[in-house]
Amino acid sequence: MEELNPEQELRFIREMVERTRKITAGSWMFLLIWGFVPILGVIGMYILAALKKYSWIWPNWIFFVAAGIVFSLIYGPKIQRQTGIKTYAQKAAYSISVACALGFILAGFILPMLKLYPWGMIPVMMSLMAGVLIFSLGGLFEWALLKWCGALFWIGALVMVFIHENYRALLFVPLIIFGYIVPALVLRARYKKQS
Amino acid sequence: MSPEKLSPLDPLIHSRVRLGILSILASVEEATFNYLKEALDTTDGNLSANLSKLEESGYISIKKAFSGKKPLTTCRISKKGLTAFQDYLKALEAYLKFGK
Repeated sequence: MEELNPEQELRFIREMVERTRKITAGSWMFLLIWGFVPILGVIGMYILAALKKYSWIWPNWIFFVAAGIVFSLIYGPKIQRQTGIKTYAQKAAYSISVACALGFILAGFILPMLKLYPWGMIPVMMSLMAGVLIFSLGGLFEWALLKWCGALFWIGALVMVFIHENYRALLFVPLIIFGYIVPALVLRARYKKQS
Repeated sequence: MSPEKLSPLDPLIHSRVRLGILSILASVEEATFNYLKEALDTTDGNLSANLSKLEESGYISIKKAFSGKKPLTTCRISKKGLTAFQDYLKALEAYLKFGK
């Protein structure tokens, strides 16, 4: 490599490695999808409750969660093809997300159906799980904002304990806006800037 | 340190394109041909030739498949390649220290 001296070579290596790290900005779509899924689910739930169609509340959640899963399954491989690389961080993020998704299903559907805790506890449990997911992703991608967003969900879970159980899920909406949608939009802006 | 004690830079890595390929592959699980081409701003022919050299020396492995009807070539660094890359980095650092 006649044209580069050792210092320039090291800088070149750093540039190449940094380039692969920037790819994580492409994951904004997942945050946005999984931000809108619970918001739409909560809105649907309160509309159905106002209409006294209580038996439709579970199908409402199943519908939005299934839509989110289908969208992720379609979009996931597409983003992989677009970026052209598979990073270790993406692989770890995928495992954490799958683990938390199973946790959400257990805490949000199965355990309350088994009457382990009352339905009013669901938003608290979901907020705890969301905190774990977002904080872990923040640590993985070394992004402080995401870690703060994770902490916000834990604070939200604590606040929910002092709110009447009928209104706990409503608190989920601002939490998701600041904990999912805002970082997704920040990532989207970064992604657009990169491309 | 005397210049004689400096270990020589691996000639297989000592090229802009091959160093770039190994730098990228050392930090990811796998990368596609198109990603490498774009990142290194090089031509298909040049990249292919350099990838072949690295594959022949056992530094990387290349998998050819299809994504729909389009060919998809993905590359991974091998253990041998990673060790060689790490040794190259150490050698570069030694050169830098010697230069100061």
